[in-house]
Amino acid sequence: MKRQMALIIGTALTLVMAQAQAEDISAGEAIYTQSCAHCHGGSGQGMGSFPSIAGQDADYIAKRLTQYRAGEKVGPNTPLMAPMATDLSDDDIADLAAYISTTFE
Amino acid sequence: MIQRITGLSLCAFLASAMAPGLAVADNSDADAPELSYTTVLSDLKDPWDMAFLPDGTMFFTEKCHGLSVRLPSGDVNPLLGMEDTEDYATTADDLFCHGQAGMNGVAVDPDFDDNRYVYVYSASRITPLHKNRVIRLTVNDDFSDVSDRTDIVEDIPYKQTESDHPFGDAGAHNGGRIRFNPGDGYLYVTTGDNHDGEIPQHPTRLGGKVLRIDRDGNAASDNNPPDGFNQRIFTYGHRNVQGIAFHPDTHETFVAEHGPWHSDEVKVLENGGNAGWDPRPNVGGRGDCPDHYCGYMPDQMEGMDPEERRAFMPMTDTERFPDAIRPAWDNDKKSQGMSSAEFLTGSQWKGWEGKMVVGFLGIGFGDTPIGQRLDLLDIAEDRLSVDVTTMSVPMGPARFRSVVQGPDGDLYVAVDEGEIYQITPE
Ligand code: HEC
Repeated sequence: MKRQMALIIGTALTLVMAQAQAEDISAGEAIYTQSCAHCHGGSGQGMGSFPSIAGQDADYIAKRLTQYRAGEKVGPNTPLMAPMATDLSDDDIADLAAYISTTFE
Repeated sequence: MIQRITGLSLCAFLASAMAPGLAVADNSDADAPELSYTTVLSDLKDPWDMAFLPDGTMFFTEKCHGLSVRLPSGDVNPLLGMEDTEDYATTADDLFCHGQAGMNGVAVDPDFDDNRYVYVYSASRITPLHKNRVIRLTVNDDFSDVSDRTDIVEDIPYKQTESDHPFGDAGAHNGGRIRFNPGDGYLYVTTGDNHDGEIPQHPTRLGGKVLRIDRDGNAASDNNPPDGFNQRIFTYGHRNVQGIAFHPDTHETFVAEHGPWHSDEVKVLENGGNAGWDPRPNVGGRGDCPDHYCGYMPDQMEGMDPEERRAFMPMTDTERFPDAIRPAWDNDKKSQGMSSAEFLTGSQWKGWEGKMVVGFLGIGFGDTPIGQRLDLLDIAEDRLSVDVTTMSVPMGPARFRSVVQGPDGDLYVAVDEGEIYQITPE
């Protein structure tokens, strides 16, 4: 009984959280195509001095974008990336992270 | 969103400026050719340069993999691999890539039929202080292997470590285009300043220069640099020359170089000349700068008016160097990653015959539009101004890394995305 209760609450919670976060992959794609692809490449493969961002999970991508937005120095080419993140909202970051992590291998 | 844009007209302008290959149907000369394209190679990793034999055989480099050749049949033979590569006929473990450096330019000897020489520019760790080298190789009869490696230049500086600058990683500002001038038969080698304030005006360090040498690496006999300079130096005071092309009739040498967040420049070189770039601290009214390099000052972390930047840190400092080589074009004071250059020859190019095509990688820093495109420059007689046409690139915008006209008269274009395209005028 207790266990069942916990399970139900757990499931409900997961549902609620999924709802609240409902990342919009197509919104992420739109931002990516417009603002990111010319450096990181159409499939996130990286080009020239711009790193590959393929094969990363959503948390990693979101963490990095949050760092850049906060003006933190990450790697040696931070000044090139940071301005790309300054105007991203939390939702933008979640959408981008969802798009990048699910689309690029 | 990233670029907050107000006003419809500005929006339209930006859109067109940012995607010129698609949006600007600006092959505006009445007699511009119609263009079509085919994809010659795809799924390459950072293709960097190409060089052709008269029968269409195409040597090409990939920055972190090495040198390969595509035969007229379409078969590709990997010839010289860098460290950590497999499947190349020969592997050289000292050749490595990092950041902008790796295996860059490739050239074939004008007497290839007799000597079978091909040349590449690559970063090497043979010496503890890593260097860029110009390497000569002999290609075997069936184009399946190379041998007799001879490093004809061993001392082009390579940026060893990270510094406090945009693009500040090791390997930055690495030059790397190599071309034979059909006029004098010499090999021209373009180098970069390594984010080192001292290098461009330095008499013996070979960065920030254009070298002019013979096939063994000796200085061209009539090079005319100032007293005390290394004799291989043809011109100095450059930032990061990525493009070099010779006028089809006069054989004058033109270079294209990246600007410091303003003013990409195209200029005709004068033997022994100073191109006027001097990013040292405490000269030209500037004070100390991050890691002794003023190249991105006064504000290296944020976008600002290119005009203001130019006043502070000119690409061509004509006040301090009154005889500096004057640019023919400064990309309207913008810096958008100008890369490679080539003159178009042959009547198939119609109104574009004799024009120079320059490729842009695109950057998009501050308010400067990204600018990925191919431009056509009609360079004035006095070499001090240009008329610019933007090509309506049939395959759309990309990071245009290398442009080379093939023996068939078509334009071959390598893009960082991993393709080599062939653009055919109709
Ligand atoms: C002007 C070119 C440029 C653009 C445009 C750009 N980036 Fe970047 N990005 C970089 C560079 C350079 C780095 C590495 C910076 C460093 O050294 O910390 C980077 C790093 C990253 C990283 C971290 C990679 C890692 O493994 O640490 C992520 C994630 C990323 N970018 C995502 C994006 C997204 C999403 C966009 C679009 C909103 C974008 N970038 C637009 C140049 C760019």
